[in-house]
Amino acid sequence: MKNIDKPIQFADSANDFHKLTRNTSILINDVTVSFKGKKGEFTAIKDINLEIKKGEIVSLIGHSGCGKSTLMNTISGMVSPSKGEVIANENLVKGPGPDRGIVFQNYSLLPWLSVYKNIFEAVDSVLKDKTKAEKHDIVENNLSMVNLMPHKDKLPGQLSGGMKQRVAIARAFAINPSILLLDEPFGALDALTKGSMHIELLKLWNLDNRNKTIVMVTHDIEEAIFLSDRVVVMNNGPEATIREIVDINLPRPRNKKEIAHDPEYIRVHDRLLSLLFEKLSIED
Amino acid sequence: MKSLSIKNTAVSALYFIASMAILTGLWTLISIITKNEIPGPLSTWTIFKELASEPFYDRGPNDKGIGNQLFSSLSRVFSGFGLGSIIAIPMGLLMGSSKIGMRLLNPIVQILRPVSPLAWFPLGLLAFKAAEGATVFIIAITSLWPTLINTAFGVASIPQDHKNVGKAFGFSKWKYVVKIMLPYSIPHIITGLRLSIGVAWMVIVAGEMLSGGVGIGFFVWDSWNGLSLERILVAILIIGTVGLLLDKCFNALQTVFSWESK
Ligand SMILES: Nc1ncnc2c1ncn2[C@@H]1O[C@H](COP(=O)(O)OP(=O)(O)O)[C@@H](O)[C@H]1O
Ligand SMILES: [Mg+2]
Repeated sequence: MKNIDKPIQFADSANDFHKLTRNTSILINDVTVSFKGKKGEFTAIKDINLEIKKGEIVSLIGHSGCGKSTLMNTISGMVSPSKGEVIANENLVKGPGPDRGIVFQNYSLLPWLSVYKNIFEAVDSVLKDKTKAEKHDIVENNLSMVNLMPHKDKLPGQLSGGMKQRVAIARAFAINPSILLLDEPFGALDALTKGSMHIELLKLWNLDNRNKTIVMVTHDIEEAIFLSDRVVVMNNGPEATIREIVDINLPRPRNKKEIAHDPEYIRVHDRLLSLLFEKLSIED
Repeated sequence: MKSLSIKNTAVSALYFIASMAILTGLWTLISIITKNEIPGPLSTWTIFKELASEPFYDRGPNDKGIGNQLFSSLSRVFSGFGLGSIIAIPMGLLMGSSKIGMRLLNPIVQILRPVSPLAWFPLGLLAFKAAEGATVFIIAITSLWPTLINTAFGVASIPQDHKNVGKAFGFSKWKYVVKIMLPYSIPHIITGLRLSIGVAWMVIVAGEMLSGGVGIGFFVWDSWNGLSLERILVAILIIGTVGLLLDKCFNALQTVFSWESK
């Protein structure tokens, strides 16, 4: 079991590089994000502090519109914080970069490129010093890993949601990022496909000796518990903050059926439910 | 599946025939009302057969077959349209990809777009010192706007999603243009080209009436001087049919290049 600390509270200093330990994968330091709109500023998330260790799987969970994607995007670099900073892989995040693979909420495949080309173009642009043959190998390996080789020449429009999802995951893994960011990756899938995607994700993570850091947004409590080391529960926005971080101390590998009876599972499940209870009754 | 499409084609053909029948009927009616001052379909058909029997004869600069006239009009239209597109597409890409470019160039586009081809003609004459150049010039400058506007609109409407893919996977500028910007905008560009070729074909008659020489527009003018209304009607039908065919060609191109329908 990894030893996971509570998030560190930072001093006021603007630069907290000295707080980084060798083990830190992502450091979110006092991050506030405000959007400028017609009616003035809208602060989506406020004063967020979170440290994520190398190889950790962390889920973000919270009410729709509370700022989960916004927080994710500060890590991916698509959104820059109005205040504070994000450090990923020991570098200040200034924009999107191939060290952080993203699986977008809606897959974001390019509809005019085949499954194969969607992955190849990403590999081609990120892994510049590989030869053409090596790049093709990488694409094929990742496609086989998600069982999509037979569909490699199809366009995204000809795929089911689950297949698109797997393409997006294969693309993110193909560029071999040390950090993987998943925004509601399985939200639209049926329970069965979702289950097999969980296994795929963990398989891919295990294959890499569990060195990849995975941050994912989800609405699904069971999914969060099954996959994560920690679950970050956010308050409702605006000015959303972290409400509580729940550690999931369940040994791996986890078996979906078996952990459901584990007292620890029942404890964290209850805790998460009660943290989200208001939210669930509103959403249902 | 196949028999369904055959049935659809047959139904379309029937509608087309019915539509032509209505046109011929109205035409005959007008001809009767005007006491044959406007020739009816039959006498026009006779003249058409006469013209079509020898479409490529050439008896000096002012007396050429209808096929020659048509061919020289088409080549003029394609020169003007090609020239216009070569200007319009890059400018549209530029306008669409930069907010500043859009705001700077849009007023110019809005002012120049509604100007009639006839107003451009003297400027063309001045610039090219020849009627031929002036005709191509007015075709280019009046037909380039739909392509320009559609291209700019296409590029400006690239979804943030697609742009994010480029950013997240570190696409170079070139890769972004070739793999995201162009593929996304091509259907828009072709829609623009389709509208532009329509405008170009519409402008040709006015241009050739002013410039003289050889061409379907000149043929109309020449027939008017020769007081042959049948010949004018034949020309109108040919102009309409060619316009329809050009539109069909670009429509086909649109389906070929549309990634959405695949
Ligand atoms: N680009 C933006 N401009 C303005 N407001 C935004 C933008 N992105 C997100 N927001 C707002 O920030 C809040 C959080 O959004 P988001 O992070 O997408 O929520 P979640 O992913 O938790 O559903 C929402 O109220 C949303 O309307
Ligand atoms: Mg979201």
